[in-house]
Amino acid sequence: MAKVSPWITAAEEKPVEMSSRIRLARNVRDIPFPHMLKGGEMDEVTARLKTVLSGFGEVDLNVMKFEDKALLVEKHLISPLFTKRGQLSYISGDESVSIMVNEEDHIRIQVMGADESLDELYERASELDDKLEAEINYAFDDKYGFLTACPTNVGTGLRASVMLHLPGLSLGSRIQRIASNLNRFGFTLRGIYGEGSVPLGHIYQLSNQLTLGRTEEDIISSLNELKMRIMEEENEMRSIMNDDHLLKAKDSIYRSYGTLKYAHTISLKEAANHLSNVKLGMDLNLLPENTIRFQEQIQLIQPAFIKMRLNTMEKEYGSLERAVDEERATLLRELIGGTS
Amino acid sequence: MICESCQENEATVHITTGSGLNKTERYLCEVCANKSFSNQFANFPDDSFNIHQLLQSLSAQQPAGAGMKQKRHCDTCGSTIENILKNGKFGCADCYGTFSGKSNEIITRVQLYQTEHVGKVPAKSSAYLKVKKEIESLREKLAELVERQEFEEAAVVRDQIKSLEAGDGNGEG
Ligand SMILES: [Zn+2]
Ligand SMILES: [Zn+2]
Repeated sequence: MAKVSPWITAAEEKPVEMSSRIRLARNVRDIPFPHMLKGGEMDEVTARLKTVLSGFGEVDLNVMKFEDKALLVEKHLISPLFTKRGQLSYISGDESVSIMVNEEDHIRIQVMGADESLDELYERASELDDKLEAEINYAFDDKYGFLTACPTNVGTGLRASVMLHLPGLSLGSRIQRIASNLNRFGFTLRGIYGEGSVPLGHIYQLSNQLTLGRTEEDIISSLNELKMRIMEEENEMRSIMNDDHLLKAKDSIYRSYGTLKYAHTISLKEAANHLSNVKLGMDLNLLPENTIRFQEQIQLIQPAFIKMRLNTMEKEYGSLERAVDEERATLLRELIGGTS
Repeated sequence: MICESCQENEATVHITTGSGLNKTERYLCEVCANKSFSNQFANFPDDSFNIHQLLQSLSAQQPAGAGMKQKRHCDTCGSTIENILKNGKFGCADCYGTFSGKSNEIITRVQLYQTEHVGKVPAKSSAYLKVKKEIESLREKLAELVERQEFEEAAVVRDQIKSLEAGDGNGEG
C-alpha cells in the first residue's frame, strides 16, 4: 500500500504553514540541454552522479508503470513533465531530497521539509550542489550565473517555495489582491492543485519568480517576509471568523467532519474541501488536535494513492472514477474513525 | 466491448468525466485508462512559468543591436533564435553567448530588468572561467606579438597558454 513520505509523517502539524521546498536547476557544461539531447549523451554524467548519490534510492522511470510515476508526482518527488520524458531520479530514504536527471535541465535538486526553515533547506541543497559540482562541470557564466534551459531559471537556478493553507483568505476574496501585489515584487501565490478560482483544499504555494540579480539569501529572506505577512492576514481573517461568524464557521466545520466520517462516495474536490474545513476547525480549537493529519491526508486522497489501494484489492469495478470515489470515502471513514 | 482508444483490448474500465452537458463517458482497457490518468496532471503543481507569450512578442522584433554580426545557428547545438523563441528554451549553454544580443533581451524581459548574477559562485566553475579568460587574453597578446614579429616573446606567451590549457578545468577529463 502506498504511503506518504516519511518526512511528512514525522512532521509536526502547524496552523497555516505546511511545508517548504528548495529547488536548484543545474546543467552540465558541453552537453546540450535535455530537450535537445540524443540518447546516451548523459550516460557519462549519470555514471558520475551515481557515485556521489550512492546513499540515495535510484528510480528508473523507463521501467515504471504509469501509476507508480503518478504516485511520485502526487508526493511532489518528480514533476508532471518528468513522467513523460524523465529517465532517472534519485530519492533519499526519508524522501525529503530528490534529484531529477534530464527534466527541463540536466539536474534538478529538490529538498523539502516541514520542520526546517527555508534557509536550512537551502543549506542542505547547496551542500549537495557542492558535492555534485566536485564531480561534474557545471554550465556557469560570469554574467548570467547558472545557465538553464529556460530563461526563467537563469542566475541562481533557485526556486524557493512555501505551501500555505489559506482558507480564510481564500473564502474571502482578498487572495486575488494579495497575489497581484506579489507579482509586482517578482513572487507568485497560486493554488498548488489546479488553477481554478478556489484551489483544492485552499492550499497555495508562495514562490519566487525571479532568479537573477539577487542572492539566494536575499530571495529567501524576502520570501520569508512575504510569508509572514500572508500568514498574518490569514490569521486576521480567522479571528473575524471566530469573533463575528462563529455559528456559521462551526456549522460548516462540523458538517465537513460528519461528511468525512460517514460518506460512502466522495470526489477529490469535495474531500479536499472537507479536510480543509476540519483542519481549520482544529486550528480554531473547535475540534481535537489530532482529528486529522492534514498534510498526509490531502496526499492520501489523490487519485494515484487511491488507485494503489484498489489495485491491491483486485476488486472488479465497472467505472474507475466511481470506484476511486468509493474507495476514497472508505479510506476517510477509516482514518477519521467512523464506521468502515 | 472493445477499448475506444486502442480498438484492440477488451474494455474493462468505464471512465466518466465532467457533469451535466459536459459529461463524457469512455470505455477503455486497463492500459489506456492508466494513460488517461495523465490528464489529471494538467492542473498539477509545476515550477515553470508560461513565457511563450512574452517571447512571441519578441520574435516579431528585430534583433537588438548586433544586426549582421549575430550568427544564424549555435555551433554547439544547432539552435536558431527562432527555435529558442518558439520553445521558450535555449538549446545549450553556448546559445547564451552565440545570440548574446537577443539572449540579453530575453533575460531582461523574463527577469524584470535584472541582468547580472550576484548569487552563489561554484568553486570549480569559477576557477575554470578564470583560466579561460586568462587564455583568451594571452591569445590576443600572442597575436599582437606575432604581428609585430616579436617571436621570442611570442614563444614565451605560447608556452604560457599551453601550460594553462594543460591544467585547464581543474580535473576535467
Ligand atoms: Zn486500449
Ligand atoms: Zn546552443
